[in-house]
Amino acid sequence: MKNPYVNQKAVIDKIIQETDTIKTFCLKPEQPFGYTCGQFAELMVPGVGEAPFAMSNPASKPEYLQFTIQNVGYMTNRLHSMKEGDVLGLRGPYGNGFPLEAFKGREMLLVIGGVGFPPARALLYSLLEQKASYPRITMCYGARTPADIVYKYQIEDLRKDIDLLCTVDKADKNWKETEGVVTVLLDKVTINKSKTTAVVIGPPIMMKYATLKLKELGFKSGDIYLSTERKMYCGIGQCRHCMIDSLFICKDGPVFTYEQLENLPDIWE
Amino acid sequence: MAEKYYIGKAHWKSILNTWMEKYNVIAPQKEHGSLYMVPVTAENSQTIVYDEVRAVEPMKHFFIPPLTDVTGAVKTGDKPWLFLGVKACGITALTVLDQAFGGDFTDPRYEKLREESLIVSTDCAHPLETCFCTKVGGNPYPVKGFDLNLSKVWDGFVVEVGSLRGKELLEGHDRSLKEVVKEEAEALSKIRARAVREVEDFNRNFGFSAESGTALFKHYSSDFWKKDSENCVECGACTHVCPTCHCYFLDDVTKKEFVKLRGWDSCQYSGYAMTAGGGTPRPKLAERFRNRYLCKFRYLPANYDALGCTGCGRCIAACQGRIDMRETLHDLK
Repeated sequence: MKNPYVNQKAVIDKIIQETDTIKTFCLKPEQPFGYTCGQFAELMVPGVGEAPFAMSNPASKPEYLQFTIQNVGYMTNRLHSMKEGDVLGLRGPYGNGFPLEAFKGREMLLVIGGVGFPPARALLYSLLEQKASYPRITMCYGARTPADIVYKYQIEDLRKDIDLLCTVDKADKNWKETEGVVTVLLDKVTINKSKTTAVVIGPPIMMKYATLKLKELGFKSGDIYLSTERKMYCGIGQCRHCMIDSLFICKDGPVFTYEQLENLPDIWE
Repeated sequence: MAEKYYIGKAHWKSILNTWMEKYNVIAPQKEHGSLYMVPVTAENSQTIVYDEVRAVEPMKHFFIPPLTDVTGAVKTGDKPWLFLGVKACGITALTVLDQAFGGDFTDPRYEKLREESLIVSTDCAHPLETCFCTKVGGNPYPVKGFDLNLSKVWDGFVVEVGSLRGKELLEGHDRSLKEVVKEEAEALSKIRARAVREVEDFNRNFGFSAESGTALFKHYSSDFWKKDSENCVECGACTHVCPTCHCYFLDDVTKKEFVKLRGWDSCQYSGYAMTAGGGTPRPKLAERFRNRYLCKFRYLPANYDALGCTGCGRCIAACQGRIDMRETLHDLK
């Protein structure tokens, strides 16, 4: 029987410095790691600890995984000190992922904050692989400052395929795009709300205000998809740390519609 | 009709002896006024306590121990366990654990230990004041989930067969098994009725039920959570002695890389749900206190169609702050 607690090994093939505090780790897992975008993995620094992260590579490339990770705590700090050739542990994939079939035929609006971009990038890759199925793809991306933007080297390329608007909370003198929180961008895009499905990924406070703004714009709660996060150990619906009410983020989520969550208390905490 | 026999005192000893040859028999022994599940030996087999209440440690101690290496090979003892003297509330709790550690991502350790082990449960003839099984849909005697159940009647036992493996435990002992006569059956009914009455009497003043989850959720913002948690020192004893609580952390800080330990955690601890950035959805004590009640009466029923509270009363007995779960449930009914 398969032991769900055992990590497979994954070698760090390449590290891309995205910002001062964010790096993308490109991994070669021992076994191909097939997944649906929106799912996540438990990544383990040997002898240190394990935490859940979303993949940011195309789901169609299960043999070469990418994780874009901010240095925010004990485990990510140790991860950031690792080098190419080092070995990490990997478990998963876990969670439900985005319902791509349900998205078909819909105009897609992605509202993304900070390091919410990595899972959004995996989603974009999947959407663009079947571009004809999605009449329109718009992404509103917000970061704290221009220096905090990830995948800078890809933004112009993405703009060939999607409408991509960027904003920063605090601009510098070279910044030519919008200044302000990500919800500001929602006033700038033309949205056909009855034909559009929104996907919101980012820090809790950003997700809260983006969701409320989408509601204000007339979106139905069932057309707003949220990729949620909480403290998590197992990833497999046992340890109960990630729960929102009786929902396991790791198993029932991490992708929920706002309709599933809106009547539950403390969802943005 | 359930298969039942009567075993007299003289015969019981030889049956227990044959079980001890094949199994590692674990049964309640009294120490400093409380019962503990310990291995039965030739020396202590006479002092097994059959008819009192649940032991201090719940069954999860054996199936998901406080700290376990979950990555290595699944190792079990030289003989399978035979748990003698498990109570109805202990069996009920296993319905939660079986689903939590079975299902989509089965814990191979849990599965193996559970499959190998035998459960010979016993009735509670003398409930404690902290017992409240009857308030949450239970009874002080097991009705299912056992291989055999023993009900102490006079000097012997009425034994009920609950499974094929239970029946096998009685093989070769035909001469020790007598038909249950009317007097024995009546005596058993009386003992059980008296135990039920005792539990009900202890809980006469508490107004709550197995359906309390709805009321608790309705009172999510009540001040009672703060008031009732005033004496809580966040020791986590309530969750650690709880037979259904099974929250755990995983630990990779081990001597050997890629070895992972699983240890009991408690939602009462402030760091329980804390993320790398230091945020937590339940920063206040009253919020963590509330979480335990909602988990028992709302979340676990939603997840596993089983109540997370068996009425065993261990959390009441273990609390240093003398917090009685029944009082909060009553306050928020």
